[in-house]
Amino acid sequence: MSPYGTPGTGPVVHDPVTLPADDNVDPYTFCVELKGTQWFMQKGKMIAYYGAIDFNGVGHGRLDRLVRTSFHSPLHASDWVVAEGSGKMLLADRAFDVNSYDLADGNLTIRSGNLLAFQPSLSLKQSIVPGFLTLIGTGKFVAASNGPVVFMEPPIRVDPQALVGWADCPSPCHHYDHGYMTGVMGGLRAMTGLGGASGEEHQFEFVGAGTVLLQSSEALMAEQATGAPPNEPGVPGGGPGQPGGAPRLPGQLGDLQRRFGL
Amino acid sequence: MFRLQSSKVLAVDMTGDAVKAKNGSMVAYDGEMAFKKLSGGGEGIRGMVTRRLTGEQMTLMEVKGHGTCFFADRASEINLVGLRGDTLYVESSNLLATDGGLRTGTTFTGLRGASQGNGLFTTTVEGHGQAALLSDGPAVLLRVAPQYPLTVDPGAYVAHQGNLRQSFQSGVTFRTLMGEGGGEAFQIRFEGDGVVYVQPSERNTIAGDV
Repeated sequence: MSPYGTPGTGPVVHDPVTLPADDNVDPYTFCVELKGTQWFMQKGKMIAYYGAIDFNGVGHGRLDRLVRTSFHSPLHASDWVVAEGSGKMLLADRAFDVNSYDLADGNLTIRSGNLLAFQPSLSLKQSIVPGFLTLIGTGKFVAASNGPVVFMEPPIRVDPQALVGWADCPSPCHHYDHGYMTGVMGGLRAMTGLGGASGEEHQFEFVGAGTVLLQSSEALMAEQATGAPPNEPGVPGGGPGQPGGAPRLPGQLGDLQRRFGL
Repeated sequence: MFRLQSSKVLAVDMTGDAVKAKNGSMVAYDGEMAFKKLSGGGEGIRGMVTRRLTGEQMTLMEVKGHGTCFFADRASEINLVGLRGDTLYVESSNLLATDGGLRTGTTFTGLRGASQGNGLFTTTVEGHGQAALLSDGPAVLLRVAPQYPLTVDPGAYVAHQGNLRQSFQSGVTFRTLMGEGGGEAFQIRFEGDGVVYVQPSERNTIAGDV
């Protein structure tokens, strides 16, 4: 028996037998068990592993078939790798809370920076909402959040910075408080903060049936690139086809111009 | 006697004995305390010169007195380690405090240190007593035994203890140069018998993005 970390004295020492399979080790570390299987994970989130595990970029030729079925976001493929082999692997991200979620023939949309890893039985697609990714299918995925995740039911309005993702409900829409929208002064006030803006004039509104995931902090996690959608008419964010007119002035004065019909 | 006041504050009860702690890490004390800077980590002239030469800089102070002294550093998580005559290897930036009776020194780590951006040398702590380590997020302790070696990301490595051999693994191939690498190009493999401390966060390393 090893003399180090004897049970009962001090902190728990983990070994491959006591590490959980596909579960949290502590609120900040997640253990994935690979038995000749594969997991998609964000680059550089592995902190340690037992056993024999290979990490290959999504562009690796041998993975073509897997990528074809589970990865539909070709332009940000360079941020993702496939872990393959047998053993137990620990994932963590900047000491943020990590949690795993099971999807059973479901769908979930999540902010790109929050998704850490997922099983290939799920397929990853870009959401129509820029900066978000959608997972569809059956399987487990791991997400990080700044503080524990709170689950809410629609109808609900949420702060944009606290939103982590949503499952099963329609995509959200923007909601502006009425006072924010009335008159030039309302616009100026919201823009400059002069005359008192609460900072909460703008929310995301969810309706319908489903679940909304919020983090308990308004500090955003770094965005991961999601890749650009194809440049086609009718695709939101696709290419430069924005209805233009006069170029926008700094500080969103452009909105005022439009209000005056210029 | 070391104890954790919370996961981020170390409390040391002292009755005339001394502890060595990172310079400036005291946040509060009650009782009578004297703080003395230890040039060169209290390792004598030779230790001082070694630290200067190796770049494994560590500024320690000696705290002595009666009462309770509290230590913390930038809200990092604190992990207590008990030493019974064995050696703890730790990066000097992750060492918060040690019992006054423990010896500290510098040792060569090879390429692992270089991949972490921490230089080629690391700090050793030996003797009988307690030490407190800092980590970004609570450290996970992983046992290494001859039948199960462990591989660790250099950015998440904090410390190790026991009779371990470490080897540096590089997975750099032409794919890495093409920007299609596996994201884990540099790894440290531990074999033998001991415990490795990893933190749930990765320091920025020169190998971080390949």
